[in-house]
This record gives sequence, C-alpha cells and structure tokens, in this order.
Amino acid sequence: MFNIRWSKIAIYSVLILGSVIVMYPFFIMVMNSFKPGTEIMHYPLSLPQNWTISGYVKVFTTLNMGVLFKNSLIISVSVTILNVILNAMVAYALAKLHFPGRDIIFKVVLGSMMIPAILLLIPTYTMLYNWGWVNTYRVMIIPVAVSAYNIFLIRQFLIQIPNDYLEAARMDGCNEIQVFYKIVLPMIKPVLATVGILTFMHSWNDLFMALLYLRDESMYTLQLGLYQFKEVIPGRFLEQLWAATTLVTVPVVIVFFFLQRYFIEAFTGVGLK
Amino acid sequence: MSFQDINVLQPERARFVGIENWINGIQDPLFWKALFNILYNQSIFIALTFVISLGMALLLKEITAGAGIFRTIYFLPVITSIAVAMIIFEFLASPNGPVQRIMMSVGLLDGPVFWTFSKWLPMPLLAIFNSWKWFAVQMMIFLGGLLTINKELYEAARVDGASWWTQFFRITLPLLKPQILFVMTMNVINGMQMFTEVFMIFDLQGGPYHAGLTPVLYLYKTGFDDMSMGYAATLGLLLAVVILILTTIQWKLINRHGES
Repeated sequence: MFNIRWSKIAIYSVLILGSVIVMYPFFIMVMNSFKPGTEIMHYPLSLPQNWTISGYVKVFTTLNMGVLFKNSLIISVSVTILNVILNAMVAYALAKLHFPGRDIIFKVVLGSMMIPAILLLIPTYTMLYNWGWVNTYRVMIIPVAVSAYNIFLIRQFLIQIPNDYLEAARMDGCNEIQVFYKIVLPMIKPVLATVGILTFMHSWNDLFMALLYLRDESMYTLQLGLYQFKEVIPGRFLEQLWAATTLVTVPVVIVFFFLQRYFIEAFTGVGLK
Repeated sequence: MSFQDINVLQPERARFVGIENWINGIQDPLFWKALFNILYNQSIFIALTFVISLGMALLLKEITAGAGIFRTIYFLPVITSIAVAMIIFEFLASPNGPVQRIMMSVGLLDGPVFWTFSKWLPMPLLAIFNSWKWFAVQMMIFLGGLLTINKELYEAARVDGASWWTQFFRITLPLLKPQILFVMTMNVINGMQMFTEVFMIFDLQGGPYHAGLTPVLYLYKTGFDDMSMGYAATLGLLLAVVILILTTIQWKLINRHGES
C-alpha cells in the first residue's frame, strides 16, 4: 500500500511538472500582453509591474485587427462547413452505397494521403494563378474544401453503423438524400465535430497558404498580419505584438475547450485503423 | 513542369530544358544543405518526442483522477498556431529572454547565446521547441494503443517474475508497433516539410550559414522569390523521392524489429 501511494505521488509530480513546462510559455505570452513595451525588454522574468491594456487598444489601430479577424473568420468558417458537409457525403457514398468502381475510388483517396503535399505545391500554384484565383477568398477555400484524411476518418465511423437502420428507413419510403440527412448525419455527430475542429484549427492557424496566395493587405488573415507585423518592425511595438498573439490564440483555445472531448478522441483513434 | 524553365508571370516564355533542372537540383549544394539541416533537426526531434510522449503516455495510463485535465493542458501547444508559437519561442530563447536568464542565474550558462547567428544551434533548439509543441499528439496515439493492450499479459508476466523493464520491452513495445509505425511515418512526412517555423525566425536564406534553411524554405525561395517555377517543381519532386525512400527504410526497420 505504502509503495503504491508513493509511486502515485511521483507520477503526479512528473505530470504536474510537465503541465508547468507546457503552460509557462502561454503564461509569459499573456503576462507580456499586459506589460508596457520597455518592461517586456528589460524585465522578461517578472510579472507586470504596471498593468496596462494599451497593447490591446493600440493593436486595433496599427494592425487593422478588424479586417484580419473578418478574413480569417470567413475563410476558416467556410472551409470548416464545406469540409464537414462534402466529406460526409463522400464518405457516405464510399461506405454505404454500392456502385461500380467504389473500391478503386477509395484506394485513390487513401493513396492521395500518402503523397507529400510539397509535390503538388508548384503545379497547384501555377494552375490557380492562371485561373486568376490568386488574392481571392476562393483560393483559400475551394482547394481545401475536401480532404482525404477527413473522408477516411468519417468512413471509419460510418462502417460501424449497421446497415439495418438505413434499410429500415428506405423501407419507410425515404430516398437516399433523406436517409443521409435524417438518419446518417445525426448518428455521426461526434466524428463530424472532430472533423470540424481539426479543419477549423488547421485553417485558422495556416500561414503558408496565406503567404502564397494573398497579396492585398485587405485580404490578409490573422496569421499573415501577425507575420508582417513582426517582420516590419522588429523590437518595436512589443506590447502590441504580444496583445496580437494573445488575441490570435484565444479563439482556437475557446473552440478547443468546447469540443476537446471529441478532438482528443480523434487523435487517439487515428493510429488504430 | 520539371523539364521546363518556367516563370509564372510570363508563361508564354516557358521553354523546354530537358533534364537540366534535375542535374542542377542534384548538384545544388544549397538543396543538400537544406536536406542535411532537416535530417539533423528531425533525428533530434523524433528521438526526443518519442521518449517524452511515450513516457507521458505510460504515466497517464497509471492514473484515473485528473487525467483529462492533464491531456487538455498538454494539448494547448498543439492548437496554437506555428506563427504564434515561434514568436513565443523567439522571445523565450532570445539572449535577453527568460530561459537564458534563468540558466545564467543558476550557472548553467556563462553568457548570453545568440543562437540565431550560430552555425549548429538553430536546428537542435527548434527540435526541442517542436517537441514541446507536438508531443501531445503522439502521446495520445500511444495512450490509445496502451489502453488496448490486454491487462492479463502483464499479470502473467508479473507472475513469471518479469521486471518492469522486461515487461516494457517484451510486451509494451512490440504491441505498440502499429502506433509507433504510424507516428514515425507521419513524423517523416510532416517533418520533412517544415517551413513556417524557420520562415518566422530566419529570412528566406535560412539565416547566417544557412543554418535554418529547410528544403521547403529553399523551394519557396526558388519558386516565388527567384521566380523559377520549373526548378522549384524539380526540387519538390526530389524531396518527395527522399521522403519516399526514408519512409520505406523506416517501415523495413521497424517491421524487422518486431518480428525478431
């Protein structure tokens, strides 16, 4: 008994130490956002001595936060909605409908997960550039509206649902579309939540695509705005930089806390197949 | 495209150059430097995250109360954007920043280190920081695997008098093979494509000595700064070939290990 208790204490100590290490950078981030700029430079270790929210106030004028937030929201929300609906439809077809060539299509979808994204970067860019899509919302939304990984995730969930449910619905006179909307969608809510949060997070945090495709400041997303802000004036406007990083991080953290149960399950499940 | 000299802005002037791009790519010292950098980074990152995430997964498996809270906390770095994370990292690790101050005050460090100007430090430091950012994903995958292992196996081993380490190497590791394989494959595919991390801290040259240059950074510079798309496409293909080779070697290695 004695032994077991001590090992529990040791385990908890290590886990708590881990949490402190994980949280410390975030703590610093939030604390810095409440310090005046000079204090960030000279006293990186101390808590704010003169609490101020001037960073938050000023960042809205220097960085055009409103526009950046709007762009990021339009893009992330559209990408998320499209991904949830379209991938669910594809996965449903691949899991529950019978048509010629289905297995081949599924193998192609799986195979495309294995191709490194970098291979397609230049050809995709050239194509989208020639279509005149650069610097529009659609260039950030349509190419990522369907994802092989999400299709795979939803399909794995769908094949666990017994066909009897669907058969019963069809007997009662539902057509395929009604079966999908009335029976299937409500049953796969957990996996749809997972796909939703993964997609939202990915889209919200993306810098690379924004860097490639967005040119006008009026189109910039938060991440791109943050990058520009950091590059243009290194070492100046520190309080605003930290206020901005905090503001960029908060939305994903909020979404995460609401949906974290599904989200963490998604990661646990992926390796198992 | 890899057989052409293309500038996206003037597509009418594209010309066919045969395998010239491929020869240039194979002889390009900067490409190999970038490749070396990323391998240097990844070998440290993979080893470090593997130990941390498996260790944490083993500890989390042992407890029930509070496990959810720890998992949530550990996931916070994962959901933070790379851009934000790099701003935090640059501040934490700067010569004037908290980490170096703490290390100097306890005597671990003689003077401030300007690691962004160093030849060898950027990649290890990035690897350590990336372990902080990503370990939770791997930890959760391992934890998922650990929870599926049949408890009776451990009971039987304990009856036979097997020590904790024997149980770990004979039961836990072999049965975790699918998860390990999955994690390692994802590591190689994602890790080889590192871009935002170095782009946030170093310029397109990868900083002094090109110590922060990664293949994707170099590809981005070639394609979108020097505007030679054909060559950039070739570099992309070359990188994909390297990734394919590495993944295959890895599968072979881990599979053989499991069977012996």
